Amino acid sequence: MLSKDLIRLDLDVANREEAIRILAEDFVKAGVVKPSFVDAVLEREQRSPTALPAVAYDIAIPHTVSEHVITPAMNIAVLKHPVAFQQMGSPEITLHPQVLFMLAISDPKDQLSLLRRIMKMLQNKELLNQVREAKTKDGIYDLLQPVIDV
Amino acid sequence: MATRIRILSVCGSGVVTSSMVANKLKDMFAEKGYDAETVEANSSEVEGCCSRQHFDLIAYASPIGDNCGVPAFNAIGLITGMGEDEFMEEAIEALHKAGK
Repeated sequence: MLSKDLIRLDLDVANREEAIRILAEDFVKAGVVKPSFVDAVLEREQRSPTALPAVAYDIAIPHTVSEHVITPAMNIAVLKHPVAFQQMGSPEITLHPQVLFMLAISDPKDQLSLLRRIMKMLQNKELLNQVREAKTKDGIYDLLQPVIDV
Repeated sequence: MATRIRILSVCGSGVVTSSMVANKLKDMFAEKGYDAETVEANSSEVEGCCSRQHFDLIAYASPIGDNCGVPAFNAIGLITGMGEDEFMEEAIEALHKAGK
């Protein structure tokens, strides 16, 4: 599920689209999604945004339907500067996520326990703060691996 | 015996977020003595779902147009973990009004 190749630190992007495109293309390169995932996840964010006012700071969890996904994966990007995203469920609200967790879920019914672990992570203030402050990819991997890849 | 209720869990794609919310709802309603069945859908499927089955509640993580007369609540707090108690209070009040 997690891979050090799917972690980016200090990602310097001008806007939401650029951030999502870079992460989605990392997924394509890693072979966890089909090339069609890139446009699908961009379109989905436009139509139904994924930013959340999480307990520690704003985050976003861009994702799309399973037909574009090959195997479950998550990538993590700590942004150099927060960029504007719209809030999930309330697109009139603008949030400024500091960390993005892009999800590739191939079968939500089959991956329920994984979704539970991801949700638990999103609610863990201390863990989210540690992820944001981490200095290396290894540091982020070591923080999240025991929580996500059990 | 637990009271059976059916909840429509709505998100943008009808998969990932709605499954997270549905999981959480089942757990939280079980604690309150309800046996919650959940159906996951995207926003555009709400009307169709409501015309096929009766729902006691809608939990949405993506704006819905018509709630088809079903009490509907924003489920973002269930994902962030902030506002879970408020969600449950309002949802259970709506269930009580409907005699459940």
